[in-house]
Amino acid sequence: MTWITSLLLATVRMAVPLLFIALAELYSERAGMVNIGLEGLAAIGSLVGFLVCYITGSTWLGILCGALVGVVVNMIYAYATISLCADHIVYGMAINIFAPALASFIYRVYFGTGSDLKQIELMAGIGIPGLKNIPFFGDLLFNQTPMVYIAFLLVIVTCIFFNKTRAGLNYKAVGEHPQAAATLGIPVVRIKYLSCVLCGALSGIGGAYLTTCYSNTYSQGNVAGRGFIALAAVIFGRWTGGGVLLACLFFGFCDALQIRLQVGSFGVPYQFFQMIPYVATIVVLSVIGAKKGGPQANGKPYRREQR
Amino acid sequence: MDELLRMEHISKRFGDFYANKKIDLTVKHGEVHTLLGENGAGKSTLMNILIGLYQPTEGKIFVNGKEEHIDSPAHAVKLGIGMVHQHFMLVEAMTVFENIILGDRNVSGLFIDRDARRREIEELSEKYGLDVELDKLITEISVGAQQRVEILKALYHGAELLVLDEPSAALTDIEVEGLFAIMRKLVSEGKSIIFISHKMREVLHISDRITVLRLGEVIGTVNCAETDGKALASMMIGRELSASQYEKMEAKGECVAELKNVDYNKNSKHNGLNGVSMKVHRGEIVGIAGVDGNGQTQLAQLITGVLAPQSGSVELKGKSVSVYDPSSFIKNGVSHVPEDRNLQGLVGDMSITDNLVLKATTAEKFSRGKGLLLKKRDMARYAGEMVGRYDIRCTSVEQTVRSLSGGNQQKVILAREMESEPDLLVAAHPTRGLDIGATRFVHDKMIEARDKGVGILLISADFDEILEVSDRILVFFEGRIMGEYSGKNPPVEEISLAMTGK
Repeated sequence: MTWITSLLLATVRMAVPLLFIALAELYSERAGMVNIGLEGLAAIGSLVGFLVCYITGSTWLGILCGALVGVVVNMIYAYATISLCADHIVYGMAINIFAPALASFIYRVYFGTGSDLKQIELMAGIGIPGLKNIPFFGDLLFNQTPMVYIAFLLVIVTCIFFNKTRAGLNYKAVGEHPQAAATLGIPVVRIKYLSCVLCGALSGIGGAYLTTCYSNTYSQGNVAGRGFIALAAVIFGRWTGGGVLLACLFFGFCDALQIRLQVGSFGVPYQFFQMIPYVATIVVLSVIGAKKGGPQANGKPYRREQR
Repeated sequence: MDELLRMEHISKRFGDFYANKKIDLTVKHGEVHTLLGENGAGKSTLMNILIGLYQPTEGKIFVNGKEEHIDSPAHAVKLGIGMVHQHFMLVEAMTVFENIILGDRNVSGLFIDRDARRREIEELSEKYGLDVELDKLITEISVGAQQRVEILKALYHGAELLVLDEPSAALTDIEVEGLFAIMRKLVSEGKSIIFISHKMREVLHISDRITVLRLGEVIGTVNCAETDGKALASMMIGRELSASQYEKMEAKGECVAELKNVDYNKNSKHNGLNGVSMKVHRGEIVGIAGVDGNGQTQLAQLITGVLAPQSGSVELKGKSVSVYDPSSFIKNGVSHVPEDRNLQGLVGDMSITDNLVLKATTAEKFSRGKGLLLKKRDMARYAGEMVGRYDIRCTSVEQTVRSLSGGNQQKVILAREMESEPDLLVAAHPTRGLDIGATRFVHDKMIEARDKGVGILLISADFDEILEVSDRILVFFEGRIMGEYSGKNPPVEEISLAMTGK
């Protein structure tokens, strides 16, 4: 029983950073912006979150600054793709190359090349009084760091936004058919920029979560493909808030499972278990990805004069 | 009936070209006002100005007697002007209901009050007989229903004046009847409609007044009751029937290409062919007349091997074609001046020389070992020759073709296609966007080729061009051949009526 409990606990912990990054992509793609630069945005967010927390001692300030730097870096992508109508993939890739390298560079500049591990104090968990004492579910859902609560709250807000509000409907129209949206007076370009601000901020938070709530150090490559798994999660989740949540929990579960299997196995090289999340991603994508879906004008540049 | 809209002296210039020139248009309350004109007459430009997509170079717009500067589509919506575009502006992944309320600014509040909005929409739909299923996705409903959604959407956003851009184009005959019933209902409720079409029968059927545009200018506005199809057609075409300067031939040489009962996408009125049979002989120019988008594109692609017919057959020089691909057609002596020179005719970033030899890189003349090694010097010499013979104005043969003017680009294509000594030349809109001098040059070259025994298929939406050079004229309408006429003293009015499907 404890094995299963700890497995599920780890699932939630693993799923949360993915969830932030996948929600970032959801907001981006709903406005037609395919951003494959999540990995890079999360990397720079992770470093800045760590650094700010190391200097000030405040995990909250670290996460806030992680969000800010995510926005700043993502504005490169936004300006190139929205204002200059450049290719989304090219600029997403550029950020994936540029941002992680910048993160490592800043780390080296600040801490030097020494090998001693810099550590910070992780964000403390806060139990929700009463609820946390429910057997099994208490620990799983109501005795976590505030960031976990924020992530799940964000899923609910996202569902309401896209399904119940007028603003959400207009936002979705931009990703589906920007020309039609424009003829109805919806500010297409403004919404596209807004989507990039949201995407940058949430990816940055996802990255900062890794260093301030998950492991207490920064190491190069600590995002470890989560940016790409998050991309898959959006497709798996059929571009909806609820779907993305389930997808992230699934990938989080795979991740948690592989760690536990590594510990308990003899004779099987641990690398095989490490592959599980990535293999799961490939399997899911080849099953689900074949079906066409997603916003129709996703990834297409929008030019106002073109009709 | 007082005026709802008055457009005064509207001009729109693109570079040196006037798309609209001092256009006056008034629309009264409760009338169907038709804009009639050929492609490129300036109808769309005028409507784009009205709905705020373009800014006029000069002129004024009055709505209900008040001067307005319409600087965005949102502003036009606010003024009660709604447009149903030819290509619908609907979000396919959303429901009918969501499409209608999209961008709604008449209500406030964060959340969508579905019940209240529904009631409003249902009221409207009942009032005007616009029957739609609100909870269906756009992809689940027919084209006719999509159009009703568009109209309902415009009304919901407060439209008093509806612009319908070729609304009948995508509809079946029964759906067109339904559309007309709705239009009548709208007008009887005091709404006004600007109707754009070139289908004469429909125009005469539904309009109150008709304004005819030609080459960006208003030719006249007439009451529908006081006119007929013939009069309108001649206003539309508006020619001083000058005889062609070229001698018309009646060649019955060898048949170089024949289509036998060819079908392609036959249920599509605009992108298909329906039972087309035709021949092109040596030494004649066969002109395909018709409004753009009646199957001409498919015809050109079929007869050059880009597309394969779905039924029927194509014969080249008496032999039936079994493999449809452009290279085997080229080997069979088919040359093609495609309709879009930048997209299909040229590689913009390559030099004039390279573009000129593109089709003949394996020829002895330009390479050793069937294209293994190019003879650069011979190619350059050849390009220099072509520049002289086809009057291509350039600074050097190494210049990229993208940097040439449209007319000179067309000459590069013409040089390449003519020099391969074809048996059949398919020329699609060969003078589109060219000035008078360049047009004349292209026509001279075509006549020259004809006299040498080339069979030419000329496809053009420019009726003047068809009349000028064709020895035989076929009229296309909705993928069918409406009639065949001699190029010598052609019955102009009859042909222009046939072009509108009558």
